[in-house]
Amino acid sequence: MLDPDGGLLRGTLDVLILKAVSWGPRHGYAVAEWVKVATGEHLLVEEGPLYTALHRLERQGWLTSEWGYSDNNRKARFYQLSRSGRAQLRSEVSSWQKYVDAVTRALSMPAPRSA
Amino acid sequence: MHRAIGRSSRQSAAREVDDELAFHLDMRTRQLIGQGVPPDEARREALRHFGDLERVRTSCVTYDQERLSAMQRANVIDEIRQDLSYAVRTIRRNAGFATVVALTIALGIGANTAIFSLVHAVMLRTLPVPAADSLVALGDPAATGSVFHSSAPQGEMFTYRGYTLLRERSRAFSGMLASGRADRVQVITDQAQGEPDRPRARFVSANYFQVLRVPAMQGRTFDGSEDASVGASPVVTVSHSYWTRKLAADPRAVGREILINGARFTVIGVTPEWFTGEIVGQSIDIWIPVTMQTVVMPKRAWLTESEAYWLILLARRAPGVTLTQADAMVQRDMRGILGEIGSFSAKDLADVTVPVSPGARGFSRVRESYGQALVTLMIGVGLLLLIICANVANLLLARALSRSREMSVRLAIGAGRGRLVRQLLTESLVLGALGAAGGLLLARWGSRLLLALASDGSPAIPLDTRLDLPVIAFTGAVSIVAVVLFGLVPALRTSRVDLATVLRASARSLTGASGGWARQFSTGQLLIAAQVGLSLVLLIGASLLVRSLQHVQNAPTGLDRDHLVIVDVDAQSRGYAGDRLLTFTRDMSQRLARVPGVAAVSWSENGVFSGTESHTTFQVPGFVAKAEDDTSAAYDQVGPAYVRALGARMERGRDISEEDIATRAPVVMINGAMARFFFGASDPIGRSIQLGDSGTVQVVGVVADVRDHQLTSAPERRFYVPAVRNRYGDPTALSFEIRTTGAPGPLVPAIRKAIAEFDPLLLIEDAGTLDFAMRQSVREERLLARLAAGFGLLALLLASVGLYGVMTYSISRRVSEIGLRVALGAQRAMVLRMVLMDAMRLVGMGVLIGVPLGLAAARLLRAQLHGVESADTVSIAVALTVLILSAAIAALLPALRASRVTPLVALQQD
Repeated sequence: MLDPDGGLLRGTLDVLILKAVSWGPRHGYAVAEWVKVATGEHLLVEEGPLYTALHRLERQGWLTSEWGYSDNNRKARFYQLSRSGRAQLRSEVSSWQKYVDAVTRALSMPAPRSA
Repeated sequence: MHRAIGRSSRQSAAREVDDELAFHLDMRTRQLIGQGVPPDEARREALRHFGDLERVRTSCVTYDQERLSAMQRANVIDEIRQDLSYAVRTIRRNAGFATVVALTIALGIGANTAIFSLVHAVMLRTLPVPAADSLVALGDPAATGSVFHSSAPQGEMFTYRGYTLLRERSRAFSGMLASGRADRVQVITDQAQGEPDRPRARFVSANYFQVLRVPAMQGRTFDGSEDASVGASPVVTVSHSYWTRKLAADPRAVGREILINGARFTVIGVTPEWFTGEIVGQSIDIWIPVTMQTVVMPKRAWLTESEAYWLILLARRAPGVTLTQADAMVQRDMRGILGEIGSFSAKDLADVTVPVSPGARGFSRVRESYGQALVTLMIGVGLLLLIICANVANLLLARALSRSREMSVRLAIGAGRGRLVRQLLTESLVLGALGAAGGLLLARWGSRLLLALASDGSPAIPLDTRLDLPVIAFTGAVSIVAVVLFGLVPALRTSRVDLATVLRASARSLTGASGGWARQFSTGQLLIAAQVGLSLVLLIGASLLVRSLQHVQNAPTGLDRDHLVIVDVDAQSRGYAGDRLLTFTRDMSQRLARVPGVAAVSWSENGVFSGTESHTTFQVPGFVAKAEDDTSAAYDQVGPAYVRALGARMERGRDISEEDIATRAPVVMINGAMARFFFGASDPIGRSIQLGDSGTVQVVGVVADVRDHQLTSAPERRFYVPAVRNRYGDPTALSFEIRTTGAPGPLVPAIRKAIAEFDPLLLIEDAGTLDFAMRQSVREERLLARLAAGFGLLALLLASVGLYGVMTYSISRRVSEIGLRVALGAQRAMVLRMVLMDAMRLVGMGVLIGVPLGLAAARLLRAQLHGVESADTVSIAVALTVLILSAAIAALLPALRASRVTPLVALQQD
């Protein structure tokens, strides 16, 4: 159930990346930092798979990349959501929500009376 | 956009990933150091944190490369779209120019497609039946016609008995069909109207449709039982075309009774539209079971006659049997059969070989007669297309010059040369596509025109010249080759403009000539020379073929070609036979002789230029044969005063007389060729010839050689015997030869009328002038000569126009130079000569290319030349003269314009 590379639920890394760049261009390190902070350092065990995912998402057309300068004025590769990436993020967020709701509802069911 | 991709090539994808990951690791290390971790440990910690670096790097690079190549693909498509829309815009802006170019290309591609559609129909296309590849033709694939009577066994055609025995014996085939001609068939489809028609019919074995796997479209086809016993199956299958034409496409026509030569037959089925028989170039209307032959033609016993070689065979190979195996088996079986049934000598048997060949393309006489001509024409139109390509290349080149500024600007703003070449080629491609579309339209019309030309006055040969897939594929391939040929040179040349040259050229210059321009012109020059050379090749070929045709048409015929009318009648089915036939011919001859304008009348069995010939073998006492056919000759049965009627000449002795025929005199006339062959210099009159086992005849006359049936070959040995009641039985056909005093054509209606008055029910099969029949007999040669001449003149026109264009252009560029020369004292005549010499230098180059090529091409034509050497000096001289004259005319106009240039004009010009 856990992604062997990322130590995350399969597919969740993608949606987290999309979310991470949804406010504007970010380089890989910043994405990693955001994921770490946002998930309370629990989920991302290794950082490498994050890059694999970034490049995969770019190939898919959901991200575009460009070289720019980081805050400390070093050359870095910045990722940005494409139009289709934004649509993808929306749909993944909503299906994630439905999934979580369903699982939560199931897990919070009271014990059946006759069993 | 393109730039970015251009820079991030595949190698740099890896570098970028490295940079990116290095940046990450650096940042992480710094962060750890900031947290107080010692530097060397921080680095290790960052790496550990990252995970498998190498693996991440590899997958990132892979993803990036995939993304880049997808983008490049999209990019190429995008560029093609850009190129296309740019090309369309350019072409629209120069609509006039584009129209001329597209029409020129259409002409070339149309001619190629039209000829190829005929080549395809005649030589390449397989019969439209299922699994045509497993069909095998037994006998000569070109043999489709006459009934052969011969004492020696034949391999080209088969007797009915030979067919049935071979079919029973042969293990090589899963089925074997026989098919034979049924001529002079009169059919009455509607007995109320009673108007007979004469469809093309064939006698076929009952398994015909099963072996060919042709289903019925209406009703049924023969089921294989129809040849169980002779005369017992009065049924026919008709073609879709006949059903539509004569049976009003009525589904109830199946089951209807029709009369064939007076005998009742039932229509049992209609074949699908796509099936017109096994003979290419002949569509069959009615198929009659072979066992009904004696019912349809009661006078002929072709089923039982042991010498009636009249069937062609088509068989399906049994599974697992190769053509070679089938061939060997057929030869073995046939020798066995002939050995059992015939009284053939061992030598005869050893000589029999049955030609066994792939039968997928069916039988065709057209293929043999027109095949070579078509291949020749194909080469001719190929050359024409090359000339057209050179011409178009020149046009594009000339126009490209006017675009050199545009090109240099585009180069200057950074377009790659490759991109420009592609752009220009795209324009050529669009022009080529327009031309190809026009060419297909032209070809549809052209192939019909060709068929009409080929039949030359008689009904067109039924050939399927549909533009089907193979033809369209051919057109596509030819168009692409053409586009590359005419597009590549201008594209490469145009894109090589260098900026400095163009800028210098646009500055005013007195010399006018600049380096760039000189380079352009020499490419144009080469193209013109090539056009001139190729035109010369076509012209040499054309003049050879025309000269050969002239030779054939003017060959001494030995008879009064310009004053003869030949009338073929069907006396047999009117019941004239024996003494009645004799009376009929005498009375009819007398009646015809009374037609005003008729000088003499006689008649014969085979007629003249009828396409029907008889051959036989005989013995001449005292003559020792050296070869097999030394004792054979053509012969004809003739009426009285035959030689006089033909306007031929007696070398010695006398004509066949009325009395010879009445008394059945054992006499014979021989022609000069036969006299020389058998009797040498000695007088043949009074010598005897032994015809077969019965009877000896005496030579009473020697006829000066007559070309009876062929213009293209020398007269063969031939003899003439008095007709009727002789050993050969009644003539199977009857032709009247009528010599007129004036032009024969106008007399044909009067002659027809006289015949109709004599016997209203007698069928006139053909009535026309001998001259027409003779011209028909050389219609392949006529077609070839006419088309070759047409292509040659077209090529000449194109080359002349090209030359004119180049000269005009060159002079427009040299106005200043010429003005300067005139200012320095050059005379008009000098300028004129200078320009003409320039043009002639180009022509000279073309001649140097063209003459050797033309001579080589002429050698390929040798088979089609009669009485003309392939290196015929007259033909080459004619071709050269025509070429040089046209070139001179093409160059004269620009030269005259140049000679009118004054220094003032030159100054105003630039």
